[in-house]
Amino acid sequence: MSESAVIEEVKTNPQGDVITSAPPPKADAKKGAASQRVVSPDYLMLQAPREAVFMTGSEAAKEAIRRANVDIAISYPITPQSETMQQVGYLYAEGYLKDYYRGEEEYGVMSAIAGASRAGVRCLTATAGPGLIRGMEVIASWPGGRLPSMLLIMCRVINAPLAIQPDNVELSYMLNTGGILFHAENQQDFYDYILAGFMIGEKPEVTLPVAVAVDGFFVTHARGWVSLPSADIKLPPRDCYHEAVPMMDNENPPIRISRDAPIQKSNFISYHMHASWQQEVWAAQARANKWVKRWMGSPIEVVNPTAKTIIVASGAMVSQSREAVRQASEQGIEVGLVKIKSLRPFPSQELVEAVDGADRIIVPEFNYVGWLAKEVRSAIPRTERVISGPRVFGGMTMPTELIMSYVKGRR
Amino acid sequence: MSLETIRVAPGFKEYLPREYQDLVDDGPFGRERKVSEVGSFKEAVEEHPMCAGCAMTLFIRTAIVALPSLENTVIIGTAGCGRLVLSQTAVPFIYGNYGDTNAVASGLKRGLAIRFKDKPKDVVVMAGDGGLADIGFSAVMHSWFRKERFTTVMLDNEVYGNTGGQESGMTQRGAILKMAPLGKKFEKMDMMGLAKTAGVAYIARVVPTNATRVANTIRKAVLIAREVGPTYVQAYTSCNIEYAIPTPKVMDDARMIEQQRYGFSEYFTDEAKSYWEHYERERRQVKGPDGESED
Amino acid sequence: MVMMNRGAVYEVLPGPEGILPPAATVMGVCLPEEGEGLLHGRIVSEEEAMRSAAIAMLTRRNPTLFPGPLMLWGWTEHTRDKSAPFFEVAREIPGVRIIPMPDYRPIYPKIDPEAVINPCHPNLTIWHNKIEACVLIGVHCHFANVTLKIIRGGTNCFTIALCAEAGHEDAMSSVPNVGAEKIARFAEILRLVKKEGVKPLYAGQGIIPSGWAQVASLGGSAGGQNGAFVDNGLSHHGLSHDLEHGLDENEE
Repeated sequence: MSESAVIEEVKTNPQGDVITSAPPPKADAKKGAASQRVVSPDYLMLQAPREAVFMTGSEAAKEAIRRANVDIAISYPITPQSETMQQVGYLYAEGYLKDYYRGEEEYGVMSAIAGASRAGVRCLTATAGPGLIRGMEVIASWPGGRLPSMLLIMCRVINAPLAIQPDNVELSYMLNTGGILFHAENQQDFYDYILAGFMIGEKPEVTLPVAVAVDGFFVTHARGWVSLPSADIKLPPRDCYHEAVPMMDNENPPIRISRDAPIQKSNFISYHMHASWQQEVWAAQARANKWVKRWMGSPIEVVNPTAKTIIVASGAMVSQSREAVRQASEQGIEVGLVKIKSLRPFPSQELVEAVDGADRIIVPEFNYVGWLAKEVRSAIPRTERVISGPRVFGGMTMPTELIMSYVKGRR
Repeated sequence: MSLETIRVAPGFKEYLPREYQDLVDDGPFGRERKVSEVGSFKEAVEEHPMCAGCAMTLFIRTAIVALPSLENTVIIGTAGCGRLVLSQTAVPFIYGNYGDTNAVASGLKRGLAIRFKDKPKDVVVMAGDGGLADIGFSAVMHSWFRKERFTTVMLDNEVYGNTGGQESGMTQRGAILKMAPLGKKFEKMDMMGLAKTAGVAYIARVVPTNATRVANTIRKAVLIAREVGPTYVQAYTSCNIEYAIPTPKVMDDARMIEQQRYGFSEYFTDEAKSYWEHYERERRQVKGPDGESED
Repeated sequence: MVMMNRGAVYEVLPGPEGILPPAATVMGVCLPEEGEGLLHGRIVSEEEAMRSAAIAMLTRRNPTLFPGPLMLWGWTEHTRDKSAPFFEVAREIPGVRIIPMPDYRPIYPKIDPEAVINPCHPNLTIWHNKIEACVLIGVHCHFANVTLKIIRGGTNCFTIALCAEAGHEDAMSSVPNVGAEKIARFAEILRLVKKEGVKPLYAGQGIIPSGWAQVASLGGSAGGQNGAFVDNGLSHHGLSHDLEHGLDENEE
């Protein structure tokens, strides 16, 4: 693995800005891809020996995709995502992917992903903030189409005035599509969740798109230690004839398909089918839980389970919360922490159990609307325990002092 | 190979509905069919809810007969009348979101090219003027600029028929339709010219007054898309409901429009031309001077 | 069937459960592992799931096999191998019908509920033929689940899903990873429960001409038995024609 972590020579312009044009692939670039061998998902994710490397979130995503046996990636630039899909472009140039192109804009990209997934290949794209919202009409239709694919989301502000800063309100829109949604805390999670996500989404009883979100800049552009297996192994390819719907390749029955059933006749029969169809999409999402447990340990992580005050957080806010837990401990206050790894399926049962003994549940967030606090309230009994906040938004960082002031009950 | 998908598993044939038995015994799979043979074999198009006398239905029915390899074709449509018959046709049909056809087709075609390296998989977009020239415009143009290898067929009825008769970009200037209560205020969009600018390999304009010509145009467009680059067929498929054309007069209208402003025309890039000449030469050598040509 | 009292555990029982019963998955029903099966939402041994399925098919009214596209079309060696054991199962169920689900499109202008079953409105076929036990086999999982929920909502049919993949929570009985061997095993279990004393409701009958074969025979071309066990008081074109009304709006 160590070769891929070698930092390329950085070129700068006279002002000292980094020139980010793509470096040409090295002469022996394709050797790495050609020598990769397929291993079982269990081996790649759980058993293979790993080595820690210091890298950015975007680079961690690249290393996951290098090992994910992806067929096609479709890109479109938007800050802070661009870096990741550029990295994927280098992987394509090195032969790790079979096809790659820059689409016209996000609606077109998400639609092309829908086409590629129907063709039976493993496909990937990434976006951020306004790009996610632009593609949302299509993204919201993927689960009903039962279209396995991977969408990486690097959260940023979506509201006017236009801004590029991190703020994860966009994930509230993703909660209601029916697709699977993981929220990575750090670079390591980003690497791990992507690989798990590909395998989970393609399970026959799941057959759904998976989105892996990270908070922009905090994770994408910052470095952290990522423990990686060797680069010469990769996941098995997509096994498209063992999924919940037929492929649109004219190679599998039936010859009359209507996988995307135009059930628009205005009568009870078509309402009924659409209703049953939607139920099945959410049921499929629930079935992912078994595989989340297998490949991501558990849909939640619990620190100090007996504490009377527990913080519930997802994404980069978990890191801030960990620091608050540490600071509280120094001051002799026991504070617990529940990290939500999987936002969809939402780990209601696990959460109920984890906070059962808590008197106060603090939900810090990087957005104005407080979508995670709403999720927590809708999942647990005795909702008066939930303290909705603290929250920062518009790209602000979360001072641990603010979380501490909630812990100490000043808010 | 894909004909396996119409091979009945042992013992099941008598349980299949009649239309499936007919498709198996006498369907359009495995060899090209001529429009003059229609009536002597089981067509892929099944019963559908299109309006009586609809020219679009006639066009689609002819176009489906003309597909050079039905068992290796996937059709993509969008909201509009056309999908009501396409979804009842014995060929995989993708019905996606509004105006997404050419973006979906790009991903699909590339995905199929990855999986089936040595076997041509024909992708055909068949959607209305609204779906392609208005809401799907960006995806259409970019698929052409990228030289995506599939065929785009516009079912141009010059109106949003399925939503009840609104003006589209392909409506003639001056036409009074819903959402253009004072008459349309700008010209019909020149999609043929835009296709040429974008470098589309084969471009044709056709009216379903001559089934053989429609069939040859579609066949040409699909084969050139397979080997050379994007192709575009723009077909006048009148809406007799919204334009109040009496049902028995639908073909009279088609002939009149064809004479006035929608005459058959086709354009090849040099590469497409040389491919097509080569293809025709080979075909004549195999089939003899008459070949299978229907012109 | 005697059910243990499982307290709050969600039971997947024959309906009608009314409009929109929840998907069993979201009520906590989990899929079985290899060697296991599901019975009424509980994980049981494969043997127990198959036994209950066999008893239902032998003792409930108008038992029917619904082969889906992955069973009907011999597109791979694997699917062709499943044909023989499928008909072996059929022969072990006296008075069984075979009605196919050849595709998933909404059939225009209406379905013929004697000839086909369709995931858009599977209840029509169940109602029309008064089917009280059925097996779905070779249906893509998404469409099988859509179908099973509609059947459970509106009919009293005991549904059995023999699934080539992970199984189906919304069936009353389901077995995962079903290939030719497990289909043959189901035939064996049918023989076994009969030997143990389960008396088939239609003892002495063979496979009822059904699906298109039945429709064709009603037209007078093929002889043989008629569908004697369906007693719905409707003429051949009764129910389905009534449902045709209101199918003419296609606006989007």
